[in-house]
Amino acid sequence: MTYAELQTTTNFSFLRGASHPGELVLAAKAMGLSAIGITDRNTLAGVVRAWSKGREVGLRVLIGCRIDFICGAPSLLVYPTDREAYGRLTRLLTEGQRRALKGRCELTWADFLRFSEGQIGIVAPPEDLEGGFEEQLREMAAPMPGRIWLAAARAYGAQDLKRIARLDALGRAAGAPIVAVNDILYHGPERRPLQDVVSCVREKTTIAQAGLALEANAERHIKSPAEMARLFKAWPEALARTREIAGRIAFDLGDLRNEYPDEPVPAGKSAIEHLTDLTWKGAAWRYPRGVPDKVVKIVEGELALIEELNYPNYFLTVHDIVAWAREQGILCQGRGSAANSVVCFCLGVTAVDPMERDVLLARFISRKRSEPPDIDVDFEHERREEVMQYVFARYGREYAAICGTVIHYRPRMAIRDVGKALGLTEDITAALAGTVWGSWGSELPDEQIRQAGLDPANLEIRRATALAEQLMGFPRHLSQHVGGFVLTKRRLDETVPIGNAAMDDRTFIEWDKDDIDDLGLMKVDVLALGMLTTIARAMKMIRVDHGRADIQDMADIPAEDPAVYDMLCEADSVGVFQVESRAQMSMLPRLKPREFYDLVIEVAIVRPGPIQGNMVHPYLKRRKNPRDVVYPRPAPEHGPANEVEDILKKTLGVPLFQEQAMKLAMVAAQFTDDEANGLRKAMATFRNYGHVGVYGEMFLSRMIARGYDAQFARDCFKQIEGFGSYGFPESHAVSFANLVYVSSWIKRHYPDVFCAALINSQPMGFYQPAQLVRDARAHGVEVRPPCGLKSDWDCTLEDSGQGLKAVRLGLRQIKGLKREEAETWVAVRAEGAWTLEGLVQMARPSRRFLELMAEADAFAGLGVNRRDALWRVKGLATEARVETEAPLLALLGPPREETVALPAMSLPAEVSEDYRTVSLSLKAHPCRFFRGRLEKLGAVTSEVLSQSRDGRRLSCGGLVLVRQRPGTAKGVVFMTLEDETGVSNVVVWPDVFRQHRRLVMGATFLVVHGRLQEAEGVRHLVAERFTDLSPLIAQMRNADEEEAPRRRPESEPRLVRSRDFH
Amino acid sequence: MRVLHAANEAARGLGLYPGQKATDAAALAPELKLEDADLAAEAASLTALTDWCVRYAPAVAADAPDGLLLDITGVTHLFGGEGAMLADLTHRLARAGIPALGAVADTAGAAWALARFGPPGTIAPPGGQGRILAALPVAALRLEAATTAQLMRLGLSTIGALGRLPRGQITRRFGPHAVLRLDQALGQVKEALTYRRPPSPWFTRLAFAEPISAPEDLARVSFDITARLAARLEAEGQGARRFSLGFHRLDGRCERLTIGLSLPGRDPKAIARLFAPMLEKVDPGFGIEVATLTAERVAPITGRQGRFDAAEEISPEDGLAPLVDRLTNRLGEGRVWRARPQASHIPERAETRTAPLEPFAGAEGWDPRRPRPLRLFSRPEPIEAMAPVPDDPPITFRWRGRTHRVRRAEGPERLAEEWWRLKDFEEVATDQLRDYYRVEDETGARFWVFRAGLYQAGTAPKWWLHGLFA
Repeated sequence: MTYAELQTTTNFSFLRGASHPGELVLAAKAMGLSAIGITDRNTLAGVVRAWSKGREVGLRVLIGCRIDFICGAPSLLVYPTDREAYGRLTRLLTEGQRRALKGRCELTWADFLRFSEGQIGIVAPPEDLEGGFEEQLREMAAPMPGRIWLAAARAYGAQDLKRIARLDALGRAAGAPIVAVNDILYHGPERRPLQDVVSCVREKTTIAQAGLALEANAERHIKSPAEMARLFKAWPEALARTREIAGRIAFDLGDLRNEYPDEPVPAGKSAIEHLTDLTWKGAAWRYPRGVPDKVVKIVEGELALIEELNYPNYFLTVHDIVAWAREQGILCQGRGSAANSVVCFCLGVTAVDPMERDVLLARFISRKRSEPPDIDVDFEHERREEVMQYVFARYGREYAAICGTVIHYRPRMAIRDVGKALGLTEDITAALAGTVWGSWGSELPDEQIRQAGLDPANLEIRRATALAEQLMGFPRHLSQHVGGFVLTKRRLDETVPIGNAAMDDRTFIEWDKDDIDDLGLMKVDVLALGMLTTIARAMKMIRVDHGRADIQDMADIPAEDPAVYDMLCEADSVGVFQVESRAQMSMLPRLKPREFYDLVIEVAIVRPGPIQGNMVHPYLKRRKNPRDVVYPRPAPEHGPANEVEDILKKTLGVPLFQEQAMKLAMVAAQFTDDEANGLRKAMATFRNYGHVGVYGEMFLSRMIARGYDAQFARDCFKQIEGFGSYGFPESHAVSFANLVYVSSWIKRHYPDVFCAALINSQPMGFYQPAQLVRDARAHGVEVRPPCGLKSDWDCTLEDSGQGLKAVRLGLRQIKGLKREEAETWVAVRAEGAWTLEGLVQMARPSRRFLELMAEADAFAGLGVNRRDALWRVKGLATEARVETEAPLLALLGPPREETVALPAMSLPAEVSEDYRTVSLSLKAHPCRFFRGRLEKLGAVTSEVLSQSRDGRRLSCGGLVLVRQRPGTAKGVVFMTLEDETGVSNVVVWPDVFRQHRRLVMGATFLVVHGRLQEAEGVRHLVAERFTDLSPLIAQMRNADEEEAPRRRPESEPRLVRSRDFH
Repeated sequence: MRVLHAANEAARGLGLYPGQKATDAAALAPELKLEDADLAAEAASLTALTDWCVRYAPAVAADAPDGLLLDITGVTHLFGGEGAMLADLTHRLARAGIPALGAVADTAGAAWALARFGPPGTIAPPGGQGRILAALPVAALRLEAATTAQLMRLGLSTIGALGRLPRGQITRRFGPHAVLRLDQALGQVKEALTYRRPPSPWFTRLAFAEPISAPEDLARVSFDITARLAARLEAEGQGARRFSLGFHRLDGRCERLTIGLSLPGRDPKAIARLFAPMLEKVDPGFGIEVATLTAERVAPITGRQGRFDAAEEISPEDGLAPLVDRLTNRLGEGRVWRARPQASHIPERAETRTAPLEPFAGAEGWDPRRPRPLRLFSRPEPIEAMAPVPDDPPITFRWRGRTHRVRRAEGPERLAEEWWRLKDFEEVATDQLRDYYRVEDETGARFWVFRAGLYQAGTAPKWWLHGLFA
């Protein structure tokens, strides 16, 4: 008895299927099916996952899809029989998706016929067989003689047998014989509740009201051939036909491999010859004093491997893109495993010489993994679009496309949707969703449910959380990947269906980058990085404003400058790439980086992985006392004593990088290549969530068996698990560390440039312009306010009479201002308009533009104060009149308007207005106005705090800039306060937080009373209690009114919106 | 984005305020229960309050979302002066759980401003609003929020400061509306308000010169008074589904009769006919001096005209309605009903009782692909059945002491229990289902039987009979 299931809906038919493709394949294998055909609705999005699972467990997966027609024809299950027919199917789906809105597909039977050559069709009959089905079936069968069937399912309806008999008769008459299917919705009957829930979500109803929209029973799961034979005992031929159909399909997804485009090469050269030429040319540029022998050897080895695995075209592609970007002056830098390749370094793809570390070729490309190399390149974030357009233009839109991304159900969304479907009230659902701080593992702990004020034993709650746990990780919709390009030799739409993105004129393919990896297709990641934009801008300013013509590229920045490391050791890193966060800043003085590799470690160590794996403290301890480092050894009979030392030497015996974890698994726990590969995948992807555990057992038992200390083995594996979600390979850390160094160098030597370039690249990074400005001023940079006569859109540098230039804030800093209007204004000014009226007359800005400028005090440079300026611009004609009337008359207004004396604005009100309009004030810090009050409360300035000793009881007040509750910190809340002398860090332990939650979460201005904790130059004020001063902020605004009204309208008590974690 | 719509004192004490983002509020007070604002209900209760205020003054205008304007010209003496009237009003509102602030002034604008921004209970002396308003913030002028904010930014934070500026310059900068509001508040420009009149209740009464008590008199009165109210209903195109007739006796007691209709109606003959059988129960005592009639559940009915050809004079509803009404008034409400299909796979939940003539929104009719018996037992009855395993139809079964031999059968139709109603989530399993069979015995009688749960080796399955086909 053999049976192949030919109608299977996975959860890639969104909100219909209730099992992952992999689950279905596993169940089919377990049930003893001979093959399983995947037929999602108008999509091939799930087939790669099914196919790779099939390859893993040894089950044939037939690639197909179900087409729902818009013309009224019954749905058709389509299976291409060969590569050509497959290409036709993907083109058909592409056509249907391109003409429809995002996520939809519009196809008619006539469309299908144009692409029907080589396809096998199975008609999925409607529920009602009367009403024209007979006619439709005849019409569908006629053009496809001998390759069309009619699906018959035993759904346990009231009249199944009658219906199948009727289908049999209809099929015989039309020439489309019936074939048995079970019309699968889930792998096992236990998924029925989840399937009901997703149906409710789809139909936007609740389980109690869904009624007949739900399935009547739980029969649509994978059944064994014996059971299918019993159900179809009256029609054995229907069962036999499944085998016949499976036998006629010769197509396998693996056929798509090796379809990478050929790159143009000079006449008479092969791709590898051309790549070899380019590499040696690059080597000569990288090593001007002669290429070292060691490098020559490695390059030769890499090139040989590249040729052997047939990747030269891929390297030529990456080289071409990077070379083009260089010509355009677009800063770029490769990351990912490419950073381990000397060839990539020579080609200019990566920036750090891998020879400075010890390169292991196998880290870059593995012969055994038979997976294509992974080269990711970061570009300036504001210019990445140009690079992408270049790639499209070079390969053509038919041959290049962006990868898709599968958006999965995350915990919050899962519990929301399930709660809604189960008819839970909005606030219960919201409370459940609210319990999810950051990431929620695979289970919602009872403790959290109780914290939300709900009863975990309550049946409805348990149902909701259990179902939400199942739903988590289900695909929700497809979206566009940030920049992963897939390039193909033949038309891309003959490889994978292409759909419309939400954005106009953007398309993406149905597969995500894991699918692309699984298929062995090659992709180039064109990524965007804000810091590269900043660095590019900064280097330009250094050249133009500071006359340093020698700084052309990141490579021109002097290496290993001790002054840079001195600065970092003091945690003076506001704005610096990666190491600017609170956690990184508190690590810097402890780690005390003195050389480049220290930065690599710094970047990698402050990550959830190492923190959760308890790797940080051991590392710091060993760094302090390098002599204490002991490397665990295996029992002598099991291997060389220094096997672990070799792997972990660079990081003092603590595994910090993904590569080290992998090597540990292979060397110390003796994983085979396949096992290590499985572990790597389990670590890297969400879809394999939970599989890490299996490898854990293996890892621990084998290491212990080989004589390692159990605790050491456990620590190592904990670390590996941590990588699961936040892995940081060394190669990646190296690329990032380079940017840390470069940005630190700029900050150290040109803080003026650094400040302007960072603000001009906003939004990016951790800090708001206000903090960047404060930091720059603390480094002796003069910062000048936005000015209608002097500011450009971006921040610029002005002469200050000293070494450092003054930063003139740009008009971009004024909230609500339109860029086009501001640029017109600046352009008109360049033409020589110098008075307010003159500028207005020539630039013709909207009245709103002028009001925003006036309110931001941008006319102060004209000698007009904020209030008078606003009164004046409001007195100018309205926009409409500017358009219609003679501009001169209209604009100058009634010249003899009686002068109005507006009350002068007090300084606190000015500062308050500055914050409202430009998010910062150069006039004064708000705390200055309340210093007396703060002193009365016993609060010291943050400057005093930063010089106080450990253990002192102190109070400190300020504006709340940041509140964080990192998942790694076990409920601790970190707050950052700012006063007129600087910032201070506050730690709130969970019990204090519980007592003062409202204050901690809500206050915008407060005093923290507590105890100072100082260790290795890192200071935290550990909070014990608080005094809320937020209402004072609102008072600033009204500080200047002599006639104070009794009751006033409410206003928000805040100047800055803090960055919060909730 | 969800924001707070309103906050009471307790919420304000927690630092919550209207306009705050809901997520911020929830972070501040995790125990906060958020309900969606029901704007329609708020408007409706303001309207109701408007109607209630008619007790103070004939002209009341609602000032959405949270204000009332009363024109109290010429009525204050009834309450002992302006101050006493205001105090009485706020006191009564407070007693009803509605915190309120009020003020009295010459103009609506000034009263609005003083109620919100002045000392509580301010009574502005006639012509004196200008002086009192000068110290109030410009927010008291009913201007757009953006205008108010900008005036404050210009340092023009009080009405007085604004009032001192030349009107022309204000208009030029803030439009005519700003000046209009200022002048309205000061009484320099009249403001027209839209007053609301409460709807007249559907009520009528007949008073008799001589007390009546004879049954014929009661019958005549019940027709007369119905005709009176019916005329008013007809004039406004309305009908009612409930009429309540009261006979007020000399001794102060009231005999009350109530009838209900299945469709809104106003035909006095039909209504009087429904009252007729109840009249004998009325005890007139020493006589009845007043009769009252109230119509409830009033709804519009469109006047209908019979067709000229008179082939189909009346629609089924028109023909059926009097019968249904008579049956219902005899048997009691809820005793006459109609079964309608309800979307559920579970047979006993697949029908629902509705009022006989109620329009029905769901799909009519029963799905022929899922045959259901004409008579479905409200409780399935246990039977003993013999059937081949695992899921073939029974061969014979025994019901109410008689054995039936199955000649023809169809099925099973497998219906799984609704897991979300089960007592325990973990219980969800494949055995919570029923396999239904439609079977015909040797006499041609057809039955609907089911086996509870899947067949399991070793245990005898339980069989039930759930209904009879014709």
